[in-house]
Amino acid sequence: MPSASRLRRLDTIVGPFADLLLTADLPQLPDARRAEVVEFVQRRANGVPSFTRFGLTVIALLYRGVMAAPGGRLVARFLASKSIPLLGEYPRLIRSLGYAYVWDRWPDTLPTGAAS
Amino acid sequence: MNSTAATAQMHAEVLVIGSGAGGATTAAVLAQAGFDVLIVEEGEWIEQGSVVPFSLQQMDFQYRAGGVTVALGLPSIAYTEGRCAGGGTEINSGLYRRPPEDLLQRWATDFCINDLRPEEVMSIANEVEQVISVSLVPGPPSAPSDVLRRGAERLGWQNSEIPRWMKYASGDASSGQRQSMTRTYLPQAASHGARLVTGCRIDQLQMADGKATRATTTLGDGRHGTIDFRHVFVCGGAIQSPALLQRSRIAGYIGRSLAVHPTVKLTARFADELNVPGDVPVHQVKEFAPDLSFGGSASQPGLVALALSDQWRTFSRAITDWRRMSIYYAAITSEGRGRVRAVRGLRDPIVTYALTRRDRALLGSGLSRLALLMLEAGADEVYPSFRGAPVVRNRRDLATMQSTFSAAKASVMTVHLCSTVPMGEDTRRCGANSFGRVHDTTNVWVNDASLLPTAPGVNPQGTVMALAIRNARRFAATERPRG
Ligand SMILES: Cc1cc2nc3c(=O)[nH]c(=O)nc-3n(C[C@H](O)[C@H](O)[C@H](O)COP(=O)(O)OP(=O)(O)OC[C@H]3O[C@@H](n4cnc5c(N)ncnc54)[C@H](O)[C@@H]3O)c2cc1C
Repeated sequence: MPSASRLRRLDTIVGPFADLLLTADLPQLPDARRAEVVEFVQRRANGVPSFTRFGLTVIALLYRGVMAAPGGRLVARFLASKSIPLLGEYPRLIRSLGYAYVWDRWPDTLPTGAAS
Repeated sequence: MNSTAATAQMHAEVLVIGSGAGGATTAAVLAQAGFDVLIVEEGEWIEQGSVVPFSLQQMDFQYRAGGVTVALGLPSIAYTEGRCAGGGTEINSGLYRRPPEDLLQRWATDFCINDLRPEEVMSIANEVEQVISVSLVPGPPSAPSDVLRRGAERLGWQNSEIPRWMKYASGDASSGQRQSMTRTYLPQAASHGARLVTGCRIDQLQMADGKATRATTTLGDGRHGTIDFRHVFVCGGAIQSPALLQRSRIAGYIGRSLAVHPTVKLTARFADELNVPGDVPVHQVKEFAPDLSFGGSASQPGLVALALSDQWRTFSRAITDWRRMSIYYAAITSEGRGRVRAVRGLRDPIVTYALTRRDRALLGSGLSRLALLMLEAGADEVYPSFRGAPVVRNRRDLATMQSTFSAAKASVMTVHLCSTVPMGEDTRRCGANSFGRVHDTTNVWVNDASLLPTAPGVNPQGTVMALAIRNARRFAATERPRG
């Protein structure tokens, strides 16, 4: 079993990136809802099988590095909008989990994220 | 049936690992034959109706890893496994197909399976159909299901309603109660004295000279324990069973030939509301079977958003119409194969799958034909699930879709996993003998979807159950209970 400290680390890596993507993709999603979605994405990321988790951690760390650099948030958003082999699987996973949660929980959400 | 709490030290004459389609039937047959049976299940017992079917909440409670599991490859293939009492039978669509007789014959010949008699398997299938109440939907099909019928009929394609393991309290489809293992074979096993322990994972079997004597366990609270037994049936499903055997250092042809039905999807929008969030369509189109089959998927609004997410920039505007939308799939019988590898130090196995060139082409032609069927059924817009996909409104768009599709850009997924411990006497390509005993072991049996020598090209649960009962009966006829 992965230790609790490792689980927390993946939380802190995935959370800010999920928040960045959701803010960009669904700009009118209310803050409280976005926080709930991010929490869900983190929970699911923590539950992925060992090997996927390893790959996820590596790519997530890369993105975190990019985000930490000056202007990095814009670069991270740009990268996430491209379908780059392997690297692109990470934003794809975060998006699919995030969107699935939003419309599962609040089915009448508009494409902008606004509550209808 | 009540499950009992796991304890650190347990004993049984026969240990059955996993309580899904293979494990529950095995336990019922052996308990009835007088064996002292202990079923150990990693997931929890979740009462039907306590979670919303096909929802994210259900994935949290009843799926392994919340449903986020993937076979790595180009493209990777997302797959799902049940992890709860009853295994996959609790979460699946409940569509029942009989074991294909010609396939049984082919398996017997190609994999040297002794005594695999189609008439015996069919007679077991008859019994299974009674126990799990295989039946057609009373009354007319749901609107999403009727789309498949209508489109196929306009094209002159063969289609039919697939019966399900359901009991209908009243005369309409929405009153259906799934006759999964927690409703049927697990209570049957319990009525003959079998015990079920949930929330307990078998980590490893301790082996000496080809014989397993003890299993090591992890309980729900993280404590470890052991189970002593005389015989063990590994029924953890096609991913977990080979992984457990490998962790137990059992060699042989194990985990090398994972077979699946790879699936691509699209979402179709119609003029009228048709979405049924808590159910799936029951029609299938088999015009191009066994290579290609079309059917309908769960279409909760969250799943519709997921299906649109590959091309969100252009498809997202459609999400507000989810009540007028439903998701459909094209599944192929793949020539590709995958592997399951347990790696020391990692809790979960690494799963890989390689589609062949023919598989990729078939996925593309499957998606095109499915989109055509949707247009014929009256869809005003079709949203294929691959990156760069166009919205398909007419045959011209269909041609564009065909030319832009590539399997590498698609969200390929599967829910049918099998063939990781194929049964048969040919040890170069079979992990277990003609009745599921793992080669070079004396008391380790596999009895689940892993045994199917190839992907059957139809919904597999009926075949898994019939073969598991056949094998368990053979065991009961050759081994004596201690009692
Ligand atoms: C979403 C979905 C939809 C499907 N739809 C259909 C359908 O409509 N028709 C059809 O015919 N088939 C369908 N299937 C496939 C069908 O459910 C499977 O073929 C069938 O359940 C396989 O049975 P099994 O016994 O091999 O494994 P499972 O039913 O998966 O059972 C394995 C059990 O073993 C447990 N386990 C695994 N490892 C351990 C361990 N180490 N210790 C303790 N317990 C363990 C698991 O938690 C699980 O509960 C579907 C599957 C899914 C996931």
